[in-house]
Amino acid sequence: MNLFYFSSPATFYRLAGWLAPWFFALGAAFTLAGLYIALVVAPTDAQQGEVYRVIFIHVPAAWMSMFLYFVMACYGGLSLTFNTRLAAMMARAIAPTGAMFTFVALWTGAFWGRPTWGTYWVWDARITSELVLLFLYFGFIALSNAFEDPRRGDRAASLLALIGLVNLPIIYFSVLWWNTLHQGSSVSFKGTSMHVSMLWGMLLVAFGFWMYGIGAALTRVRTIILERERRTLWVRELEFT
Amino acid sequence: MGEGARIHVTDHTFYLAMSYAATAVAIAAELVGLRLRRARALRGIEEERDLEAQD
Repeated sequence: MNLFYFSSPATFYRLAGWLAPWFFALGAAFTLAGLYIALVVAPTDAQQGEVYRVIFIHVPAAWMSMFLYFVMACYGGLSLTFNTRLAAMMARAIAPTGAMFTFVALWTGAFWGRPTWGTYWVWDARITSELVLLFLYFGFIALSNAFEDPRRGDRAASLLALIGLVNLPIIYFSVLWWNTLHQGSSVSFKGTSMHVSMLWGMLLVAFGFWMYGIGAALTRVRTIILERERRTLWVRELEFT
Repeated sequence: MGEGARIHVTDHTFYLAMSYAATAVAIAAELVGLRLRRARALRGIEEERDLEAQD
């Protein structure tokens, strides 16, 4: 099968319409299962008490904020390299969801920080670089919509996304490179220092957020395709229910 | 441990509620935004179809 078959907006529109509800359903199922473990099964933390349960949202949202930016920048790179319309549309479709997860990570971090650190906000390297990530998302969205010709907006925003990639290792390694108030990773490829039920709860919510992110991006890209291709024959012949 | 300190450590409900509620609101807002944007796009296409039919 030729994979380029799906790079046509007309083909991908139908494929995305078929896939999106499945990803939303998987997202809901995994998130609810994860939240059940997070709020009912997982034990109370010995040091932080119940407030530690914020991390079941905070950590998956922070992971998704970085992962979605990486995927968005990859689509931006594809768009610049091969001048593919669909890649640019996918980058545009991912940005608002990435920004939403970045906001959630910052917000929940603040409401975890207040009872544990004694402050909602500190200009710590990890937190500040995550805030920069939110501004990069805002910049991408603003720049992509700043031009009358959407293809020029695609190119400018893709370039910004690629330049902004440098922020991802800064976010990830900031807790190692600098003496930060934010603690280091509790989960890595080598192992974890968490109780197994806490880990499962967090991983399930992360997987649920991942599926939700794909569902939202696919749903949004369908609308972007309609907006961009509204004067083409295949859109004119579409039946909307 | 004094009473004030004990309350500070154990009164977690507000922080948990603000975190979970804000996440739910953010996701709900995104889903509503997706629906509204699609509805606007479809309306634009329908209007163009109507204009074409009049020509």
